[in-house]
Amino acid sequence: MAERMQTCNLSEHNFEQCTKCSICTTVCPVAAVTTDYPGPKQAGPDGERYRLKDPAYFDKALKLCLNCKRCEVACPSGVHIADIIQHARMRAAEGQRATLRDTMLANTDLLGKMANLVAPVANATLGLSPTKLVMDSVMAIDKHRTFPAYSRQKFTTWFKRHAAKEQDAYAHHVSYFHGCYVNYNFPKLGQDLVKLLNAVGYGVHLLDKEQCCGVALIANGLYKQARRQARVNIDNIRKSVTRDKRVVLTTSSSCTFNMRDEYPSMLDIDNADVHDSISLATRFIYRLVDEEKIKLVFKQDYKRRMAYHTACHMQRMGWQLYSIMLLRMIPGLDLVELEQECCGISGTYGFKKENYERSQAIGSVLFKLIEDAKVEAVTTDCETCKWQIEMSTGLPVENPISVLADALDVEATRRANGIN
Amino acid sequence: MKMDTVIIGGGLSGLACGISLAKRGKRVTIVASGQSTMLFNGGSMEMLGYVDGKAVENPLGAIASLPESHPYRKIGADRIASIAERVKLLFSDSGIEMTGSANANHWRITPMGVAKPAWLTLSDHLRIDNLNQLPAKRLALMCIRGYFDQPNAMLAKGLRDLGFEVDMIEFTTDDITALRRSPSEMRATSLAKHLVSNNALQRVADQFNNLAGDADMVLMPSVFGQSDSSDFQLLQSKVNKPLRLVATLPPSVAGMRMMTQLRHYFKMLGGTYLTGDTAVSGTFDGDRLTSVTTAKLADMPLKADDFVLATGSFVSRGLKADFERVYEPVLGVDVDADADPEKWTRFGVLEPQAYFGYGVATDSQLRCLKQGKPIQNLRAIGSVLSGHDAVKMGDGTGVSLLTAIAAADHIREKK
Ligand SMILES: Cc1cc2nc3c(=O)[nH]c(=O)nc-3n(C[C@H](O)[C@H](O)[C@H](O)COP(=O)(O)OP(=O)(O)OC[C@H]3O[C@@H](n4cnc5c(N)ncnc54)[C@H](O)[C@@H]3O)c2cc1C
Ligand code: SF4
Ligand code: SF4
Repeated sequence: MAERMQTCNLSEHNFEQCTKCSICTTVCPVAAVTTDYPGPKQAGPDGERYRLKDPAYFDKALKLCLNCKRCEVACPSGVHIADIIQHARMRAAEGQRATLRDTMLANTDLLGKMANLVAPVANATLGLSPTKLVMDSVMAIDKHRTFPAYSRQKFTTWFKRHAAKEQDAYAHHVSYFHGCYVNYNFPKLGQDLVKLLNAVGYGVHLLDKEQCCGVALIANGLYKQARRQARVNIDNIRKSVTRDKRVVLTTSSSCTFNMRDEYPSMLDIDNADVHDSISLATRFIYRLVDEEKIKLVFKQDYKRRMAYHTACHMQRMGWQLYSIMLLRMIPGLDLVELEQECCGISGTYGFKKENYERSQAIGSVLFKLIEDAKVEAVTTDCETCKWQIEMSTGLPVENPISVLADALDVEATRRANGIN
Repeated sequence: MKMDTVIIGGGLSGLACGISLAKRGKRVTIVASGQSTMLFNGGSMEMLGYVDGKAVENPLGAIASLPESHPYRKIGADRIASIAERVKLLFSDSGIEMTGSANANHWRITPMGVAKPAWLTLSDHLRIDNLNQLPAKRLALMCIRGYFDQPNAMLAKGLRDLGFEVDMIEFTTDDITALRRSPSEMRATSLAKHLVSNNALQRVADQFNNLAGDADMVLMPSVFGQSDSSDFQLLQSKVNKPLRLVATLPPSVAGMRMMTQLRHYFKMLGGTYLTGDTAVSGTFDGDRLTSVTTAKLADMPLKADDFVLATGSFVSRGLKADFERVYEPVLGVDVDADADPEKWTRFGVLEPQAYFGYGVATDSQLRCLKQGKPIQNLRAIGSVLSGHDAVKMGDGTGVSLLTAIAAADHIREKK
């Protein structure tokens, strides 16, 4: 009976479950650095009560929320605090247009496509002081930010020219959702994944079509466009899973979290049939090793000391263990696991002039931890954390897949897995 | 996924056990859903505060008078003395400065101004070794304007009853006033996050130096130092009288700080801490537990040689009750509790409650029982154990720490 009372009592996003304990507020990175933001309890379940009475109670301060989900991880009562806040923002944003700046930042793929055509020019201009000043004053993109460099050759172009042909020869197959970052900024990460998976006998394939996962669109209030792109992605993921019997791997924790969890909760896109077939590559590879289906052999002379940073969305999924355990298999890697702290960038948030200082203040706790760890590099599953940490600490940041690929003895691994 | 030890529950006991094992090279993973009851902790550890309603002077000495079913009796009084020393070491290794002795309780002050026996207290918090020799004559009790998690009048009355002269002094600074924009969020933990910079602390110190008058000690709520004690030390260096902190209502900054420091140390030792994941079930093979499954790693059971159950009591959902029975929800191990629900509670908030003593049944080596038989590689520690009562006996944190290390010893010592 008690159980039934509980199940019949469920409110949207569990907001009636809130016991007002304030634990969520103790972990909110924004409330920690500014009194402009009332914190998750007030912005979430408490404010929702008022907003249900009258939408006019919507507080503009809610747009300061990073949607990092740390509050949800900490809440002992299972309240989906950040979802409540995001939905309130969504309701308030209906009928309003996003600014040019927000639209530009949100369209990571459009920006990428354009820049990619003219990569050397784009890199030079985006990095140039006068350009930065214009961006700072006209576009309100903070001048301290360096745009991640654009690659001259897209990942997909490289893949089609240099890798696609060989993939069918392998015994097992997966699809790869590369995302904007790998495609336009950092094809090496995609190449590293192909190298790693090929060495253990897995062929890698692209989806028939993929679009930006839309994490930045959601954050910037461009919900309609996000929904459109989400549909395209889920349709193509579905083709891979049902038609080709291939799971879909990613190398970005934010894309993964967005497509698995935010599509249904924020955009009402039903992905239940493919949800479990979308996975971060480290999780997929770890499980193959754990089930003794593949073997990884690492270089004898590899030696590095690195710190692992758990991205907020990675923690929300609870998957950091896969990346950490995989990295710990590398004999020459001395890995420090950092306390989970928010880096402060949260996708496009930190690029905005009005957020820059707050973004750096939030990250300062993490930067100090990194400094104290005395490491030569940092590893994390999120590309925007990478930009933020690189800019703020000066240390190189790599995805765990790249670290693994770098440490891998490819020939020995291929032999160990019976591949010639 | 295979480890040496998997610990379910990342509160005080889970972390203490994890540190103890990781320090000796074991590969340990802690599964920890959310925050723990350390958020209620006022900066002290208690080994044994009361026996038969009377305050205990020498906790080690009083252990022999406890019933056989108490967790301390399972460890044995002689072992407890040496484990207690290792607890102090564990704290100092984690960067937590605590003082106190297992042979002689001192007094800690609750947010309501009541003196309670304690074993260890953070060195920046007010502690009284001897009620006849107070550490100060006149206290300046600094009360933060707009901060309601410290019942100042009650606290002052309690302190006066103990023999202090108390001046209640209200103060604020620009930083504190700014926080009042969200009055409902003006909690100890929010204050601690905003009173960190050198300038913010200087403004607090200026107020103290102006207002403290001829008091010989300044007392203020424990709203400093979210990650270590450096903020307090910086403030003390700016205030021209000795400064002490006193516990606030939860969420407690001191408790959060200690958890952060322990977790950090555990990770530095190579331990893995899975925040925000919950163990949901286990798989047994005869008298052994072979794996535990969590909510977020649903398709990858965590295998280990040894397991530790450190899930806490009812508040932490380590124990549950429905209308018929009290049970342990993750592994379904045996529970010591009255069968008749009528006996569980008594009317009256301040009445001793039978259910406080309920918990998981264990053998002399803290191994959990399932249908009366010990599970060879599963131990229970901390508040989830039966036979003790943090409220009535003041033994909560002591049981957590001492059973945690005793269990780690058992795990290391077995064949
Ligand atoms: C309100 C209150 C006030 C107290 N005050 C004092 C005091 O002043 N002095 C004192 O000495 N003691 C006090 N105690 C007792 C004290 O808090 C405990 O003795 C001690 O801190 C308990 O530590 P623990 O690790 O055993 O349990 P807990 O602190 O309860 O930690 C258990 C942890 O396990 C987690 N958990 C539970 N189930 C699962 C699962 N299935 N999977 C993963 N994780 C799980 C919980 O989320 C929690 O984090 C108090 C307790 C309460 C509730
Ligand atoms: S942590 Fe959860 S239960 Fe506590 S105040 Fe926040 S939303 Fe409410
Ligand atoms: S999602 Fe992050 S920023 Fe937003 S309220 Fe929660 S903890 Fe704060």
